[in-house]
Amino acid sequence: MTTSNSTDKKPTAAELHPDAFDVIVIGGGHAGCEAALAAARLGATTLLLTQSIDTIGQMSCNPAIGGIGKSHLVREIDALGGMMARVTDKAGIQFRVLNARKGPAVRATRAQADRVLYRNAARVAIEAQPNLQMFQQSVTDLEVTNDRVTGVVTQMGLTFRAAAVVLTTGTFLGGKIHIGMQRHQGGRAGDAPSNALADRLRALPLNVGRLKTGTPPRIDARSVDFTVMGQQPGDEPRPTMSKFSTPADHPRQVPCYITYTNETTHNIIRGGLDRSPLYSGKIEGTGPRYCPSIEDKVMRFADRNEHQIFVEPEGLDANELYPNGISTSLPFDVQMQFVRSIKGFENAHITRPGYAIEYDYFDPRDLQYSLETKVIEGLYFAGQINGTTGYEEAAAQGLMAGANAALKIAGKGIWCPRRDEAYIGVLVDDLINLGTNEPYRMFTSRAEYRLRLREDNADLRLTQQGYDLGLVSEEQYATFKRERATVDAITAHLKKQHLRPGSDMAAALSAATGEHISKDQSSTDYLKRPKVTAIALQPLLAELDLSEAKEAGVDLDAALTQAGVEIKYEGYIKRQDLEIDRVKRHESIRIPASLDYATIEGLSNELREKLLATKPASLAKAARVPGITPAALSLLMVHAQKHAKNPKKVPGNAATEEQESTSRGEQHQG
Amino acid sequence: MTSPQATTTDSDTIVAVASAPGRGGVGVVRLSGPDAIVVAQKITRLRELPARFANYTKFCDVDGTVLDSGLAIAFPGPASFTGEDVVELQGHGSPIMLDALVRTAIKLGARMARPGEFSERAYLNGKMDLAQAEAVADLINAASEASAKAAVRSLQGDFSRLMNGLSETLVRLRVQVEAAIDFPDEDIELLAAPGITAMLADLIEQVEQIITRTRSGVRLTEGARLVLIGAPNVGKSSVLNRLCGEDRAIVTDIAGTTRDLVREQLQLNGIPVELIDTAGLRDTNDAIEAEGVRRARAAASEADLVLAVYDLADPSSKEFIENWLEEFQTERSVIFPTEIKSNVIVIENKSDLDVDAENKGFPGKQVLTYRVSAKSGANFEELTEQLVELLTGDESGSGIGTREQTYSARSRHLLALDEAATGLVDAQSAITEGHGAELVAEHLRHAQAELGSVCGEITTDALLGEIFSSFCIGK
Ligand SMILES: Cc1cc2nc3c(=O)[nH]c(=O)nc-3n(C[C@H](O)[C@H](O)[C@H](O)COP(=O)(O)OP(=O)(O)OC[C@H]3O[C@@H](n4cnc5c(N)ncnc54)[C@H](O)[C@@H]3O)c2cc1C
Ligand SMILES: Nc1nc2c(ncn2[C@@H]2O[C@H](COP(=O)(O)OP(=O)(O)OP(=O)(O)O)[C@@H](O)[C@H]2O)c(=O)[nH]1
Ligand SMILES: [Mg+2]
Repeated sequence: MTTSNSTDKKPTAAELHPDAFDVIVIGGGHAGCEAALAAARLGATTLLLTQSIDTIGQMSCNPAIGGIGKSHLVREIDALGGMMARVTDKAGIQFRVLNARKGPAVRATRAQADRVLYRNAARVAIEAQPNLQMFQQSVTDLEVTNDRVTGVVTQMGLTFRAAAVVLTTGTFLGGKIHIGMQRHQGGRAGDAPSNALADRLRALPLNVGRLKTGTPPRIDARSVDFTVMGQQPGDEPRPTMSKFSTPADHPRQVPCYITYTNETTHNIIRGGLDRSPLYSGKIEGTGPRYCPSIEDKVMRFADRNEHQIFVEPEGLDANELYPNGISTSLPFDVQMQFVRSIKGFENAHITRPGYAIEYDYFDPRDLQYSLETKVIEGLYFAGQINGTTGYEEAAAQGLMAGANAALKIAGKGIWCPRRDEAYIGVLVDDLINLGTNEPYRMFTSRAEYRLRLREDNADLRLTQQGYDLGLVSEEQYATFKRERATVDAITAHLKKQHLRPGSDMAAALSAATGEHISKDQSSTDYLKRPKVTAIALQPLLAELDLSEAKEAGVDLDAALTQAGVEIKYEGYIKRQDLEIDRVKRHESIRIPASLDYATIEGLSNELREKLLATKPASLAKAARVPGITPAALSLLMVHAQKHAKNPKKVPGNAATEEQESTSRGEQHQG
Repeated sequence: MTSPQATTTDSDTIVAVASAPGRGGVGVVRLSGPDAIVVAQKITRLRELPARFANYTKFCDVDGTVLDSGLAIAFPGPASFTGEDVVELQGHGSPIMLDALVRTAIKLGARMARPGEFSERAYLNGKMDLAQAEAVADLINAASEASAKAAVRSLQGDFSRLMNGLSETLVRLRVQVEAAIDFPDEDIELLAAPGITAMLADLIEQVEQIITRTRSGVRLTEGARLVLIGAPNVGKSSVLNRLCGEDRAIVTDIAGTTRDLVREQLQLNGIPVELIDTAGLRDTNDAIEAEGVRRARAAASEADLVLAVYDLADPSSKEFIENWLEEFQTERSVIFPTEIKSNVIVIENKSDLDVDAENKGFPGKQVLTYRVSAKSGANFEELTEQLVELLTGDESGSGIGTREQTYSARSRHLLALDEAATGLVDAQSAITEGHGAELVAEHLRHAQAELGSVCGEITTDALLGEIFSSFCIGK
């Protein structure tokens, strides 16, 4: 504990090495990188402290970025000036569009990444960022005075000061690795756990739990027979992850392969269960339901006689393969046996055993929308330590926490997009209100406004906000404005076009789409037919002058496609607008921090406790408290109003509390 | 899905029946909010609704069918009860008509008000002073408690079972669709699958059935049809007169007095019912009486509730009821608000006569029996309460205050069912027209949210849980 000896004169390296920063980020994983970059973009002098500079941007598990729900997050990070999408484009060795045959809202880009290229690109991005320094040291302690963080102490005893600290230590806190009945401490294979820091954090008044995740054994590609497996090439035309990349930014592309487990595999696995840490009760942490180990799949879906495995290259120059689908913590001898029972893997050589890891996470319900802890001022949490899983989820939180840490230093209010604005908003809102009891992963089904939270319009939803905050560069903003104007012009033009049966235009369009025009209709109605694509309406743009946009480099096809998507979803989105308006109005009804819930008749005890614990700042936030009823909301509203009319009646110094609640609660929202 | 369902003072226009519950006479429907006047103009087909002026007018539904006529009075804000634009429509107070008016307003863009919401808006718009705040809070509190209880009552019995079944099927359907969207690598290519369309068609049929049955259930609480039946001379007409509190039917000691149906509209503790007296059932050569008997049997088979009467002093009349029960069949299509096994109640009449007290009930038959005396009036109060409880689900049987609430809870449920049906039908057309899975999913989500407002929200997490236990997902 350093709370007490923080006044001691420690031999700091102050003279030689700066030791005071605006924002310190602990951990150079996916959350840490975006956090450090975001804070620095907002002008905060930022220090990134991490165990090893060589593992900055390391992918602990699956070498892939994106996928459904996740790519949506990555696009949002991109729209807010973050690095993940651009780094993925520099490292991606196979790109696909998932759900290509479904609608645009649920289409998602997924990239297989070369681990080494990814790490390098991430490091380049960090090193190129002004205001940002890195330092390689493990953090062992936090300095806390009067419930306010003031700095951190490293393994060597160095102290760094900052009024805002963002913690992003991933699976490292109290990390315990299991392979069969053997276990050892570790943050991920090959890295030491953070135990001193974990102990220190456990002493803070925060709720801690244990979660578990796993990874499959890796296999030497030279020992695998690909000829008996299905081949899965990337998509053509090849998508990019970032709006600002082109396929030319991509390295060489390679295919993935598909194989399957079989009954023999399953029998071997069943035979090894008595030595499984999962099935013998050695693991107490909860694993994700959607990412079960192969032993779980075999047990829970006993009627399936095969399970699919995606065989993914770990990199262009690496011979290691990542067999996606057989995460396991069975003993190594069982792993070897069952791997070799799989088609194509008969002679497979395992390069690294699969394992399960258990780690500490903090109940995210102890956080505010800014991801600042409620109990320690200036301390922010992001990434896996908040109970999430996945690089994208971690990165999104990192960006939020880093930005909010810098905003706080600058004396500004909290920023968090709403649920109807971004998956980032859904993620944070779910976490801090509902908590999680398994590693939380993003799915599109978590977003009630799924139709508007699309990959294609992430910039439209967020870039203006990002620019206003200072997260987005002038250059990116200018591009955004140009594209926006183009899309608007196209939309307005399409809305004016009428299609008449028998006209040349109608004939041409019908021929192109196979959809007949039998009565007079607007081009937008025609576009709402499922088989009519926006691109097919290109001829309608003949009279629209887009030369300026074209010269400025706007991708006209993309603009037309986006205009088309918006028109196709128009009706649905309008219906949601009503709901969203209501949320916005609720946002404007502030609930004073000093509201005495105990005196409100008619709230159930359970609800009262939940409200007391969350202290929602607005009616909209209160509406997110689980178990809240419309009647309870009405009561809150009436009492909030009453309180506002007559604050003097409230015991304690109401005036200062009012002040605090407005300055704290004020939000930047777009 | 978790979505902020709650609403507060905002741009919504709200509507509700505003007349005091349980009292007949006039019925008032109140609208408040920015569109109140526009909606009222559409209902009344009046171009102008001058402020504070009682316009005598017709009330029409969206198609122009006249529902009722009465007064429409506009109170433009801010000088109104709520501070917003308010319109009151005063009609004939029949709950069916009031319901139709509320539904029409909803179709025209208004939303059903929450309990206490008019007062809440009044308070929030500064129409009440601080001292009244507590009162408003209490009101919201009390009203929401009462309506919660009413909702629970409405959700009893068959209705709840049907609703839960519906919700479960819908979850299973959504599991398929959502899984196909979120896990495309898992080969869950479903929308085209005949299973999905069949499931959807089946669901739509189920919802529509529940809507029809619930609607007649709502009618039941408003104007249930009760039919008296039994052997001649057991006192059926006397029972009717007792229940009416007036001599409406001819009573004599001659068997075969009543020849035709006698219909009476009356209120049992404020609950409107239609009570029908019939000719005593017996074989007869008299053509007129025989026709009466035929009508009596027909009426019984169409009754919401049959009151089978026998004479305690006449064992043959009891035997008659016993035999009649064996052969009596009805197609009970309505859903009672209460759990009842049969829609026959046996009335053992003439308890004032010196009869064998042990001679009780119908062992082995699941019918309720009541021992009364039409002559002395003994036990009629209990009988009335019992009937009210059966018809409204209100355990106190007093009928006071509960009718409106149970009724409005049920009609809220019906609105939700209607919306759910729309969502399902839209999902079906999205599939047939070849729209993307995400649009099908959107309609289904909408349907589920509506059902959720009746039988409990299905959270995303629960849905995901179902997905993970139904499919082996994940790499
Ligand atoms: C075995 C395993 C399996 C996984 N499986 C999956 C999966 O199947 N699917 C999936 O989506 N995700 C999976 N993940 C999760 C994914 O790797 C993480 O969600 C993601 O990396 C979290 O990012 P983060 O930034 O929060 O933490 P990390 O990427 O773990 O980064 C933490 C960083 O903090 C540094 N650090 C730790 N302690 C200290 C300290 N005291 N001082 C300074 N620096 C410190 C570390 O060196 C590291 O750089 C798995 C992770 C592991 C370990
Ligand atoms: N003691 C006694 N007599 C009753 C009672 N109820 C009816 N009666 C008498 O029974 C006789 C028949 O009564 P009604 O009411 O006409 O009987 P009903 O069943 O309508 O007869 P029909 O119309 O002929 O089928 C009359 O003389 C009544 O006064 C009762 O509760 N007690
Ligand atoms: Mg009679």
